[in-house]
Amino acid sequence: MRLIRKLIFNLAVLVPAAVLLGLGTAWYMVQAGTRLSTRTIGPWVAWTGAGRPEAEPYTRAHIALNGVLPVSSTSEIAFRAKTDSDGGRLTSGCDYAVAMEDFEPQWWNLAVFDGSGALVANAAERYAFSSGSAMREPDGRTLIAVARDARPGNWLPSGRSNRIVLVLTIQDASWAAAIHNGGAPKVMPRIVRTGCR
Amino acid sequence: MRAWPGQLWRTPRGWLARLPPARMLLKQALGLLLRLRLPGWLRRLGLRRIAAVVLLAGIVHICATLATPVLSSRHAFLLLRDKLSANRMVVLPPQAPGQQLLPWLPPHMLYAICRYDLSGGPVTVRATVADAGWALSLHATQGENFYVLPGQPLRRTEVSLVLVPKGPETPLIPRAESISDTPVVSPTREGLIVLRAPLHGLAWAAETEAMLQRATCTQARRAD
Repeated sequence: MRLIRKLIFNLAVLVPAAVLLGLGTAWYMVQAGTRLSTRTIGPWVAWTGAGRPEAEPYTRAHIALNGVLPVSSTSEIAFRAKTDSDGGRLTSGCDYAVAMEDFEPQWWNLAVFDGSGALVANAAERYAFSSGSAMREPDGRTLIAVARDARPGNWLPSGRSNRIVLVLTIQDASWAAAIHNGGAPKVMPRIVRTGCR
Repeated sequence: MRAWPGQLWRTPRGWLARLPPARMLLKQALGLLLRLRLPGWLRRLGLRRIAAVVLLAGIVHICATLATPVLSSRHAFLLLRDKLSANRMVVLPPQAPGQQLLPWLPPHMLYAICRYDLSGGPVTVRATVADAGWALSLHATQGENFYVLPGQPLRRTEVSLVLVPKGPETPLIPRAESISDTPVVSPTREGLIVLRAPLHGLAWAAETEAMLQRATCTQARRAD
C-alpha cells in the first residue's frame, strides 16, 4: 500500500513538477536568453549566433519561436532593448532620448515595436530611423526622441502600446565580428528617460 | 615527479598537482550537498527524489530546446510559404501596423522576397545590392542564413547566383546561365531569398522600388 502511495505521489507530483521545471527553464533560456547565447551591452541585448547555420540550440529555438529572419551575425547584428540605460522598463507612457555619440557603424536602423514584435501604430506613420534618414546635431551626435507626442528633430512615435521594445540593427562586419567574438564592447547608444506622464 | 614511460597521461604539475584527487573532490562535494540547509518540505522528499526531479527536468529541458526548431509552426518560412508562389520574386509594399510580413522585421525598408523550391532544378537569382543597408540574404527553412551579401557604401554590386540543392546530384545540375553565375548550395530544397533596401525618403522610393523590381528568381534550365 505504501509503495503504491509513493508511486502515485511520484507520478502525480514529482513527474509534472520535473516536466514544468524543464519546460520553464527551456522557455526562459529560449525567450530571454542567457550569457550562453546573448551579448548584453547596457540595455542592448543581441543573440550572437542568430542566423548562423552553426548556431547553438537556444538561438535556433529562439529564431523558430519568434518567426524572425535574421541576417547572419557575421555581417549584421540586431540588438533589442526592453529597458532604458538605468534599467527602467520601456513604456509608451514615458519619453526617451536615444543618444548616439561616437556611434559610427556603416549603417544602422532604429525601430520601435510592441512587446510581440508588431509595429506601433501612429498618425505620423513613422516606425524607424536609419543612418541615412536621421538628422545630426551640430556637434555630430544623433539624438532620437522616442515619445508619444510630437517632438522637434528626430521624433520616433511610441504610440499608445503599453510596453515598447527598441530594435537597433547594425550592418557593419567589424561591429558584428567584435560582438560575435566577444571582443571589446563598442560604444552603444544610451537610452535616457526624459519624462513620464 | 616524472611520468612513467608507459603512462597515458602526464602527471599533473603546478597548481593542478596541489588539487586533491578527483575521488576526494567528489566526496567533499557530496558532503557539502548533504550539509545544505534545505527547506523542510524538500528534506522530506529526500535527496534521491530531488536528484530524480532535477535529472528529469534536465532531460525535458534538452528535449524541448532541441525539438522547438523542428516542431515550431512560427518559422518565418512557414509564415510566408502560403503567401508567396514558388520561384518568383515579389516586391512587398512598405510595412505598416497590421500588415507586417513578419514580426521584428526592420521597417522603413522595402523588401523583395522569393520562396525558392529546388525540386524542379536549380534556381537563378539576379539582383543589385546598391548601397549600405541593402542586403541579399538566403535562408533555409529554419531561418538559417547560409548566404548574405551586405551592401557597401556607394558601391553597387550586381549579383548572379545559381542556387543548387545539397546532395549527390549537385554536380549534375548546374549548367550556369553565364560564367559569372556563382553556384550556392542550399542546405534545404526550399527556402527564402530576401532582398532588402532601406528607404531614404520619398524622393528615392521610386528608384529603390524599380531596382527591387528588376531582381529575379527563376528556375534555371537543367543540364542536358
